[in-house]
Amino acid sequence: MSLSHLFAAPLTGIDITPGLHLQWKVGGLTINGEIVWATVIAGIVVVTLGLMMAKRATAGVPSKPQLLWELAVGAVQKQVDDTIGPRGAKVVPLALTLFVFIFTCNLFEVLSIGSPIDWLPAPTSDVNLPLAMALYVIVLVHVAAIRNRGVGGYLRHYYARPFPKKLFLVNLFMNGVEELVKPVTLTLRLFGNLFAGGLMLSLLASLVIWKLGAVPIGGILSVPFTVVWKLFDMAIGAIQAFIFALLTILYFDTAMAPDEEHAKEGDYIDA
Amino acid sequence: MAADASMVNAVKIAGAMVGAGLALGGGAVGASIGDGLAGSQTIAGVARNPEAQGRLTTIMFLTVGLCEAAYFINLVFAALFVFSLGK
Repeated sequence: MSLSHLFAAPLTGIDITPGLHLQWKVGGLTINGEIVWATVIAGIVVVTLGLMMAKRATAGVPSKPQLLWELAVGAVQKQVDDTIGPRGAKVVPLALTLFVFIFTCNLFEVLSIGSPIDWLPAPTSDVNLPLAMALYVIVLVHVAAIRNRGVGGYLRHYYARPFPKKLFLVNLFMNGVEELVKPVTLTLRLFGNLFAGGLMLSLLASLVIWKLGAVPIGGILSVPFTVVWKLFDMAIGAIQAFIFALLTILYFDTAMAPDEEHAKEGDYIDA
Repeated sequence: MAADASMVNAVKIAGAMVGAGLALGGGAVGASIGDGLAGSQTIAGVARNPEAQGRLTTIMFLTVGLCEAAYFINLVFAALFVFSLGK
């Protein structure tokens, strides 16, 4: 057995099949079972925490859970105040719920071991949940934009910016691509991070087949690597949850921004 | 001239591997450049104004998260190539 073979051993004989799910066929739909119940469990956790807090919240000495909630609410509130201003008060509950829910979902990754089907995976590691959340956010953003500018102003936003109106086809193309890309990147960012986390766990688990003679070197290495990766993954999960909420706020900001350029342009046309 | 089935399969696997390698390599280069820029500018900002460290650190982690996200999207595509399309 040559030396190169010994070191290449971890790369041969691995059979990783990402995207394998416990699938239920309902009508023409395929439903990923374990993602559904993991989502439901995460939802129950978030709702229970919220209801408990609503019951026990006090203006006196706060308990530890209340401190955590106040931290999260304060952070989101400050972000909204800094970017949108008082107009954005309605966005706070949405962004906060998204943050807490996604964070809870991402924490499920700590429980998974990287088997082909984990029984309690992070629901965000399947593309369906991030896509659903991103579409929900984007639809609300467009509704807010129409409410803010009216239908005419909303449509004008597509062809009258950033170039002069003569180039309205270019404007239409650029703005259309921008709006179409928003939900896609919002989805893929969250999904990619969590999916990569699960894939990494599978790779670390498959290290176990690496042996030098009788020494299970891969098995020994795999344990600390997995621990370190899970710690890192929890940080990634927190950051990604915050980024999702932050981008939601920023999209609402562009949708709710007062139309200074357009107003000026309108004045110009009137004059 | 009918193509040999095993030859077609080999070309498919080779294409998948090359594509995954390009995606991972290019993604890693881009993400590291982005991370480095974010980090260096944060250091410069803290050196200028040490009091702003708290705020700058938050923003830096946010930017790093966004940069890394691009790489992780590439990782998903690489996994798709290697484990699904290349088989």
